[in-house]
Amino acid sequence: MRLLVIEDERKAGEYLKKGLEESGFTVDVAYNGIDGLHLALEDDYELIVLDVMLPGIDGWTVLARLRAKKETPVLFLTALDDLEERVRGLESGGDDYLVKPFAFVELLARVRTLLRRGPPRDVEHVHIGDLEIDAIRRRVRRAGQKIDLTPREFSLLQLLARRRGEVLSRTQIASYVWDMNFDSDTNVVEVAIRRLRVKIDDGHDTKLIHTVRGVGYVLDLEEPG
Amino acid sequence: MSSSSLSTRLTATFIAITALCFAVVGFLLYDALASRLIAQDDTNIVLAARHLRRLVAEVKSDADVIQHRDRLVAIVLGDPAIALRISDAGGHVLIDYNPSGIPLEPMAATEANERITQQNVQVWRDLNHAPIDGVATQASLADGSHVVITVARSLADRASLLSRLRRDIAVIVLAGMLLVALLSFLLVRRALRPLRTMAAQAKVITAHRLDARMSLEQAPIELQQLTSSLNDMLERLEQGFARVWQFTVDLAHDLRTPLSNLRGTNEVALTRPRSVAEYESLLGSNIEECERVSRTIESVLFLARAENPQFALNLVEMDLAEQLGAMADYFEGPSSEAGISIDVSAKGSVFADRELFRRAVNNLLANAIRYTPQGKTIFLRGLAHADEVVVSVENPGKGIDDEQLERIFERFFRGDRSRSDSANSAGLGLAIVKSIMDLHGGSVTVQSQVAGLTRFDLRFPRTPGFDAQPPPID
Repeated sequence: MRLLVIEDERKAGEYLKKGLEESGFTVDVAYNGIDGLHLALEDDYELIVLDVMLPGIDGWTVLARLRAKKETPVLFLTALDDLEERVRGLESGGDDYLVKPFAFVELLARVRTLLRRGPPRDVEHVHIGDLEIDAIRRRVRRAGQKIDLTPREFSLLQLLARRRGEVLSRTQIASYVWDMNFDSDTNVVEVAIRRLRVKIDDGHDTKLIHTVRGVGYVLDLEEPG
Repeated sequence: MSSSSLSTRLTATFIAITALCFAVVGFLLYDALASRLIAQDDTNIVLAARHLRRLVAEVKSDADVIQHRDRLVAIVLGDPAIALRISDAGGHVLIDYNPSGIPLEPMAATEANERITQQNVQVWRDLNHAPIDGVATQASLADGSHVVITVARSLADRASLLSRLRRDIAVIVLAGMLLVALLSFLLVRRALRPLRTMAAQAKVITAHRLDARMSLEQAPIELQQLTSSLNDMLERLEQGFARVWQFTVDLAHDLRTPLSNLRGTNEVALTRPRSVAEYESLLGSNIEECERVSRTIESVLFLARAENPQFALNLVEMDLAEQLGAMADYFEGPSSEAGISIDVSAKGSVFADRELFRRAVNNLLANAIRYTPQGKTIFLRGLAHADEVVVSVENPGKGIDDEQLERIFERFFRGDRSRSDSANSAGLGLAIVKSIMDLHGGSVTVQSQVAGLTRFDLRFPRTPGFDAQPPPID
């Protein structure tokens, strides 16, 4: 899948390219609005990551001119932490936004959500190694052994399993599991992961829940990296 | 006009009023004097005509009239500006006394038996446009024949008197106006001196010298209210500036710690080759410091946004038990790990912005868990009263002393300096709670006993239709 990143700051452009490429995307970077708009109109990208503050022509103009011809989804990056600006971003046809500074895993998750066609499938049965999750009866087994989870623990496990291999930030987890949509500055998620780990991984050689320090948590057979 | 000087306007107004008064008084005086003079002149020739008619009646014939010329002329003799002509019925002039050559005009003559009054006086003008009064009357002689007596007087002297009078009045009015202009200018200047003093005092007040105040003693009573209002404003500005300054210093300090950690750990790491595990740990630590900076910036921006009157609240009615239950559920993990239980009791509903409500309760609960000793209970209550909804978070602990209670909602205020290493307590949590309550038109209060219970109360207005008060200008 081809993505276009329009970002004037070289460092940011470079790390976005690197990070997105390592996550399996093909990435072109444009360092100003004019080049970016040109590329966006000439080539067919699946998604455009667009910084709002650009030299030459700004992100809004790029978007307006792009929208005149194409419906490519756009993820805005903005340092303007202002509700009005956000609304403007979405109303003018952008599809999502992220306020700087953001966590890269957050960006990755937004990109994946925008590219996912249709609503996410609710998988009834998930098998990861010897872990089985029955979403309908809300039952979990590991190596054939039933594991009792609280409702919160179950929805945390379900989230991690559904996004297998994807690092989820604490904010994402808090938002999904507890519907807390702000950075709450507590160790709620750490505690929950710790408890889930005791139930899922303790006594098993293959650990499934992994911590990416400073970034978040991931569920997979292998350790990330 | 609105921007012209006050003293110019006052002076101009004074001059206009004075000019009007002088002009009216001058005109009235002139008019009274002029009509008096005219009446006097008219009376003089009327009386002369009457006298002459009586004298002529004693004269026998036309010829006799000529004979008695001196006697008749004597009536008008003292006045060189007067003319007398007596002619017979046929129009022949019998006596013509006209030392100053007044041009006489033919006039309708009063009947001999008719009384001569001022109504009979006629006015015409000579070549120099000086007015001339004249009266003509028939008179019967002793022999029954008639003569016509004409008396005329030049009023050139009266005209020049009046014109002198007009000039004098004009000069007096002008001089008066100039005098009033000068006096009123000086007076207004003097009266407005306190304003100039105030302006001079205001000039020295800058952002660097906000402690300066305007002097109240020198100000007249009318300006004292203004002066004290301005001083109050300065007081508020000074406090505001001080707060902003303190805020900037605190913010810089708060950012300096994670930045110096970042720099230090990275520098140390780069001094020699490390294992991959060490590098990974370093990068993880770097991200944690970045998160700390991000969190501080996010909080500061939230506080700044909350002060914007445009801040949009999404007010909804929420069940208190449900919301507080969700908050207790959210904190179940950390609290049970710390051996603390959270007791929820709630009834009724609250109108509030859901995210902000949760954020406020979150900040209070996070604090409560931090300070509650093991084995104790935090009470989370929500109660809808008639006029307000109170959400309270109460926990036992070492308590907060009075001095700290006063400042606890200030930005970057940390009750416990020894905890400043903790990335958890940036010192903005309670400031954000206060900000959220201000946005809702509510309030937050705190009560605490040392080594006892500490309770925070969030008070929300009962009805959703309240006028959201803009946050106070800090």
